[in-house]
Amino acid sequence: MNWKNILLLISINRKASRVMQRNSFRRYRDSKAVTYSLYGLACLIGISVGWLAGSFYNGITDQAARDSIIQSATYLFISLPTIVLLYGVVFTQMNQFRRIVKVTIQPMYWLPITWQEHTAASVLSNMLGAPLLITVFLSSAILTASIFLGLVFLSIVTVLALLTALVLASATTEIFKTTQIRLAGAITRVTGRAAIWLRLAASIMSMIVFYAVYYSIYNQATPVLLFEAVASGQNVLWFIPYVWPGMALSAFSNSLWTGTILFSLATLAFVLAVFLVATRLNMKFGFYEAPSAKISSGAYVPKVSLFERLGFSPSEVALMKKDLRAITRRHELMFIFVFPISIIVMMFFTTLRYGGSIPAGGSSLLFALITLLPGALTTPFLGSFIMGLEGENVWYLHSSPLSAENIARAKYFFVVIVDLVITLICAMVSGIIFAPSLIFAAVILIEATLLIVSLSAVSLACGFRGADYRGFFPMNRLLKPKWGLLNLVLCAVVALAIVAPVIPYFLSIASTALPIPFPLVISLPDFYVYVALVLSGVVSAFITYVFRKLVRAGAEKFRAEAEGI
Amino acid sequence: MAYSFAAKLISVSKRYSDVTAVKHIDLEVKKGEILGLLGPNGSGKSTLLKMILGLVKPDTGVINVLGVNLEADPFAVKKRVGYVPEGSYIYEFLTGLEFLDFAGDVFQMNLDEKKKRIEEFLKALDLEGREGDLISSYSEGMKQKILIISAIMHKPELLLLDEPLNSLDPKSARIVKDLLRKLASQGVATVMSTHVLEIAEAMCDRIAIMYDGQLLALGTMEDLRQRAKMPNSGLEDIFLELTGTGDVKPIVEELLR
Repeated sequence: MNWKNILLLISINRKASRVMQRNSFRRYRDSKAVTYSLYGLACLIGISVGWLAGSFYNGITDQAARDSIIQSATYLFISLPTIVLLYGVVFTQMNQFRRIVKVTIQPMYWLPITWQEHTAASVLSNMLGAPLLITVFLSSAILTASIFLGLVFLSIVTVLALLTALVLASATTEIFKTTQIRLAGAITRVTGRAAIWLRLAASIMSMIVFYAVYYSIYNQATPVLLFEAVASGQNVLWFIPYVWPGMALSAFSNSLWTGTILFSLATLAFVLAVFLVATRLNMKFGFYEAPSAKISSGAYVPKVSLFERLGFSPSEVALMKKDLRAITRRHELMFIFVFPISIIVMMFFTTLRYGGSIPAGGSSLLFALITLLPGALTTPFLGSFIMGLEGENVWYLHSSPLSAENIARAKYFFVVIVDLVITLICAMVSGIIFAPSLIFAAVILIEATLLIVSLSAVSLACGFRGADYRGFFPMNRLLKPKWGLLNLVLCAVVALAIVAPVIPYFLSIASTALPIPFPLVISLPDFYVYVALVLSGVVSAFITYVFRKLVRAGAEKFRAEAEGI
Repeated sequence: MAYSFAAKLISVSKRYSDVTAVKHIDLEVKKGEILGLLGPNGSGKSTLLKMILGLVKPDTGVINVLGVNLEADPFAVKKRVGYVPEGSYIYEFLTGLEFLDFAGDVFQMNLDEKKKRIEEFLKALDLEGREGDLISSYSEGMKQKILIISAIMHKPELLLLDEPLNSLDPKSARIVKDLLRKLASQGVATVMSTHVLEIAEAMCDRIAIMYDGQLLALGTMEDLRQRAKMPNSGLEDIFLELTGTGDVKPIVEELLR
């Protein structure tokens, strides 16, 4: 392997982030100090945390407590390689997702660079960013703390094991990547249109599995118990190669030198094997070709849509249809659907804690959360991203005879309709599960609608001003960060202003199930809820009116400022 | 609406920070003519096309398109113009058919006409059978065909085409060329940029040669020959002579040393 080639490829991957930043591309200069300062910062924070922990240990005089801390620290060290492996797989997968677009997934195979070099560069590049930052932090923390704890040798070996685990995680991700692409391509070819729904279902399933695993851990273990569980779990699962770095460390901590050498060698052999498999897969399937997905094959029958009958112009309906296809077909936008479903799943898991015996007020509260949250949380994202998702295709909107009003109406009502549909589905599901009273359900649905109508206007106004249309490399950013932040703050304030009048009503219902402090719960007359709804409606109408004006102004600006995007 | 020129540019300039992309250009595009825009990379051809469509606002000068002052009513102009940009940025999550349907709706075509035109064009450009596939799986040539159809199907009065024949197979290129000639005979004006000098020579009624943001020469092939004082020469020699890029021999010799 030519390491110069590998370093060059890593440098190219690292420079991909230039496109994500608002750098001047003329006379661009790379600042290595800025690039590496984050790792330095992680190291400094790690040293500080380690020093604090060590000082805390030094301050303890009770010998039993000191022994207990040493014991826990040893468990922590032994469990860390497996924990690093787990988060390493998650974060390197996330890094890979950012680059899973055909522009970047295709290695420059025509250059005199071997597949081993391509694979090694990809494995190392995936580690950059969050995975390496966390590992640098952990390493510096345990190295510093170990000086106080007297575990210096163990901590040095732990750091080596952490780095090995991270490489192992990244190499595994490389295998996942190639297999995913190969499988996705094969499934798309076979299933055609259904591939889109299969992909959505797979995203939801993986999220449910992830949350189920998370819940089972979270529900049963404190951090110390978790480390102990991982450390002892490794010993039971010694035959799984992924725990071998932890096993080597465990053997080292117990001065079992044969075990240390055996598991260390086995770990290195396994890393090499995973790397070779990744290389072989890249050699075989590395030439990425977008699969030909046949979405429709029948005769073309243009028709007047329902929305046109509702008063939208054909061009507005065309825009709305296009956006619907974008959010159902583009992988990076699927979170819009996955997100509300994850809320329902999380709530469902939460109810499991009560073993089916939820008090009436509690079930009403869960109904309210499941109905309000998905729509209210999805709207700020969908509204602010809806312009940015045009990406480099935005030229078409600029060059087409679409008026500012056409664009503003199509985008606004698209966000409102999608979120209302999501809210209605969530309301029906949670209504069946939690059976709230009719009046409570009506109040929640009205509030959800008011939130969606207003938040759509707020987030779309931010979306017009802050849209980021820059391309697919490594992925669409959709929204400039400062506008993203402003959007979230504005949406939070607006949501609170709209919901504020009905909060006393919610508290009075919730107080039957939850221990809410007395001053927060006041006795309300029966008509209060109707007054609160009217107040909510007035606030929502005012906010919607103001922000719809801003949306319109944003659309005018968009039309006027075609250039420079 | 009656108009004497499909597009009329008076002293139009455009500057991007320290680069002047277009310098005081005067240009008239006649109704029913095909005007070829030639020039080296970075000479301002694409910027000029975008300015005629209203995508780029000139720093100085006035642009009239189809009898409408572009600054006063860009919306009215866009309705009557077809545009194919350089590079095939296109909604890849749509199928070819869905994109054309979308384009037809945006240009407010009636349903029957939209269906008829889409089916005709898909058949003519050999896209039948692939129209239901996602555009992400199309070749560059297929994407270019979809863009060309979307620019022509609503019967524009002016076509602005930036390297329109890029990536097209010979048969499709021939169809598009014949189509442009047919449209020209029906009064549709076309301004197209190209690097393929043979295409410009064969297709265009007049040729404009741009260099460093300026219009170096404008006229028929005969006019250009006279201007370059190169009778009986082909467009390539004239182009290289007028743009001062003709003396390539020392460059080649230097490269091969």
